[in-house]
Amino acid sequence: MRRLLAIVLMLQAFLAGVGSAATQNLELVVTQPYVEMHTGPGRGYPVFYVVGRGETLTVLYSRTDWYRVRAPRGQEGWVRRDDLARTEQTSGAPAPIPPYPVFFAHRWEVGAGYGVYNRENLVTAYVDYGITDSLDIELALQQAFGTIDNREVATLGIRNTFIPEWKWFSPTAGIGTGYQHVTDIAPPAPQEANNQLAYASLGARGFITRRFMWRFDWRTYVVFNQLNKSEGLEEWKFDLAVFF
Amino acid sequence: MEIRPGSVLLAALLLSGCGWFHRGDKGPTPVTADEPQPDPSIIEPQVPRREVKTPKIKAKDFELGAYFGALDIEDFGTNPIYGVRGAYHVTEDIFLEGFVATSKGGQSSLEETFPDITVVSNSGRRFTYYDVDVGYNILPGEIFLGRGRAFNTALYVTAGMGDVKFADRDQFAVNFGAGERVLITDWLALHLDVRDHVYESDLFGVTKNVHNIEATLGLTVFY
Repeated sequence: MRRLLAIVLMLQAFLAGVGSAATQNLELVVTQPYVEMHTGPGRGYPVFYVVGRGETLTVLYSRTDWYRVRAPRGQEGWVRRDDLARTEQTSGAPAPIPPYPVFFAHRWEVGAGYGVYNRENLVTAYVDYGITDSLDIELALQQAFGTIDNREVATLGIRNTFIPEWKWFSPTAGIGTGYQHVTDIAPPAPQEANNQLAYASLGARGFITRRFMWRFDWRTYVVFNQLNKSEGLEEWKFDLAVFF
Repeated sequence: MEIRPGSVLLAALLLSGCGWFHRGDKGPTPVTADEPQPDPSIIEPQVPRREVKTPKIKAKDFELGAYFGALDIEDFGTNPIYGVRGAYHVTEDIFLEGFVATSKGGQSSLEETFPDITVVSNSGRRFTYYDVDVGYNILPGEIFLGRGRAFNTALYVTAGMGDVKFADRDQFAVNFGAGERVLITDWLALHLDVRDHVYESDLFGVTKNVHNIEATLGLTVFY
């Protein structure tokens, strides 16, 4: 734990160093009659300053849908993304506000969720990379908490989204392989075992807002244990994820 | 070495085939007289093209930091706890958060009354948890310090789940809580959190839900 704390502190120092190294900020010219600056990055924060047409804004950084800007006379505040998108660069080109990732064509997903694995409570986290719009590679790390054993499961698989253009609900199917580590907690003797496993899955995914999405997965597992007979397990899980 | 006529024939065929690969190559085309010659009086401008690089806008949506406080482990007293947290702000309302923290339980009342009884071994008193949460800023706003200073704040609620390791056992735990985030500057935030970790325990013979409530003070940096 102490080590983890030390790592976080070191990472803080490192990231702070990287942040200060950046010097050049983007400058944008207001082309609308005016742009409102809010005191905070949220819809309810009051407008405290207005930058008029023809004046230049220095963009410092963004947080969610808000941009921290500096007015020509030094005032700093937050401008809504949609307002900033209507400004121009000094060269006359449109403001380079990065577009939202298109949901059906996104590449990365990172998420976590709840599930039931072999009738045990399951905590799950996953990373997913899209090779194409419909074909993904996914890595899942899961921990299942049972009354007689605890299991840690790691799986790697491929997943196909049948109709990726369907935004709110799109069915998926996948196959993969992995390992589980079983620790018996019931007396008498705590035993541990490692088994290889394979799975097939059916599921669905959908868009929520901005970079936010949900995913549901039902999996059937075959566990290759040492007892010369394979064990069949079922799992379902629901994840919330961020996509990039 | 014996050379068979068949292999000689094959080699000859292969070698003759090599020419095939060069069929596209043509000899140098002769320069014809009527082709316009470059006028030496016109000077080609040799101005190097200036690279215009649009500076990128840095997104500071990640939050990373540490916290410290008190954790009340049900039946095992209130003890100091310290941990690390990371968050990603998806929208101005929603964020995803993760925690890892550790504490150590004291003596249960049963063990205090009957010193011979050991409910949990000494090493098993270590209380460690990890959590993945979803948070929602329900009451964003500002607080004022005197006339000239205002800080952005948000009262948020979080809920999630994870693992609590206590008494040498990993247990599935759900957690819910509320907290206040005060931005001292736009990149440094102070957190005040109260969170309850609930899991099922049968340490004392009966299975019951145990509530482990923590109150913590944390500091995070936005990246």
